[in-house]
Amino acid sequence: MRTRFLIVDDSELVRKSLRTVLQANPDWEICGEAGDGETAIELFRELHPNIVILDFQMPGINGIETASRMSQIAPAVPIVLFTQHASSDLERHAREAGIRSVVSKTDAFPMVGMIEALLGPADSGPGSERPGGSMKEQAD
Amino acid sequence: MREQEKVNILMVDDQPGKLLTYEAILNELGENLIKARSGKEALDHLLRTDIAVVLMDVSMPELDGFELADMIRQHPRFQKIAIIFISAVHLTDLDRLNAYQRGAVDYISVPVVPELLRAKVRVFADLHRKTQQLEMLNHDLRALSARLLAMQDEERRRIARDLHDSIGPLIAALSMNNGILAQQTKKLGPEVLDVLQQNSQLVEQLSKQTRTISHLLHPPLLDEIGLLPAIRMFAEGFAERSSVKVNVELSPDIGRLPPNVEISVFRVVQECLTNVYRHSGSKTAYIKIAPVEEKLLTVQVCDEGKGMPRTNGAPASPGSNHGVGLSGMRERLRELGGTLEIQSSENGTKVIAAVPVTKSMVKSS
Repeated sequence: MRTRFLIVDDSELVRKSLRTVLQANPDWEICGEAGDGETAIELFRELHPNIVILDFQMPGINGIETASRMSQIAPAVPIVLFTQHASSDLERHAREAGIRSVVSKTDAFPMVGMIEALLGPADSGPGSERPGGSMKEQAD
Repeated sequence: MREQEKVNILMVDDQPGKLLTYEAILNELGENLIKARSGKEALDHLLRTDIAVVLMDVSMPELDGFELADMIRQHPRFQKIAIIFISAVHLTDLDRLNAYQRGAVDYISVPVVPELLRAKVRVFADLHRKTQQLEMLNHDLRALSARLLAMQDEERRRIARDLHDSIGPLIAALSMNNGILAQQTKKLGPEVLDVLQQNSQLVEQLSKQTRTISHLLHPPLLDEIGLLPAIRMFAEGFAERSSVKVNVELSPDIGRLPPNVEISVFRVVQECLTNVYRHSGSKTAYIKIAPVEEKLLTVQVCDEGKGMPRTNGAPASPGSNHGVGLSGMRERLRELGGTLEIQSSENGTKVIAAVPVTKSMVKSS
């Protein structure tokens, strides 16, 4: 089973670049894209992604608030905040909202390794549960 | 035909005949003349109308002129009213002194010379009119300056947003593309790899500079997560750019504040740090923001620099760089009902701003 990504950014250009970067890994696929937080939360409920890449500054609710609402729905799904404004304070707020990692948009490539680490050992055989695979269990 | 607005002149005498005489003398001035037959009636008028000049008899039954003057002066609103006494008795120097000590601007003895009385009243009527005009102009200027500051904030916010929305994604895409290329090292020759590496560095510089410009224009964290993170982030960036060591002490009891308070406090801190860098020569700066009794937010910015240039003991003139920033800060704080205090010596400068806040904005500790 491939790892399914939900990518959320108000810039089509950034989403396109993210697609290119992530799809370089044959085990990864983009299951959905959103340009704002509210739409992202709807897709999150519908698509049950394994991981979310989330912009911080977007029209409507920001990335922190979006993450905090996603974390209430399925806390085990890792969320990566992808932002131009990485700072220690933002990271603290991000962690409180259930975000696992904050990645600077201008230093994006290490993200791949970081995501691999977040997802844990890949394809460890049949029966292995990917994060988000069973949302109800994880929400408890 | 005078273009100016009329001012009110209050005439107080218990004798109707005298009031009529004053009226006849002063009619020519074209101002509003108001008659009062007693001290009490005079006070009623004072409370209801803006009076420029009070012309009053010293000897009246019940409340005499001196007592009335005392009562008028006690009220802060009436401190500036010009009081002219008229008296047929009490004409010693001591009496006159007594009147001036009660705040009189003149003491006229009977018989009154009509031209003199008219001339004296005219001077104070004009003075009152000019004071009113000045106050109005001052009020207009303040309103204009507040609007300009708000528009400047809005414009800076818009430009920062535009930078974020237009250039930000381009930089992110460039950076990611460079990353993809960097993974293909085997397919690239050493020269191409070298150029790629240079490009990556250029993108990083581009990003850093855009980010600095955008953050100085408008701190992105301010709107999204609040004043304190925005200040910390600004202080970190400032320390890096200026080599001034900045210590920040922010009370955790401060929650989200109204947007106009957050941006104003941020701008005050930004202005202070800019002054530390440009003028003080200090290698350190200290920022402290803390609530006082859930009513006030105090913002302190201190340095260990050479202090501000003194101009006759007064704060620097608006013409100097210091002055522009300071008057801007003052205006911002005045708009919020706050204050600005500056303590400066050759050992450093301390700027203390205070802004009223409501209980709900401060977590009880």
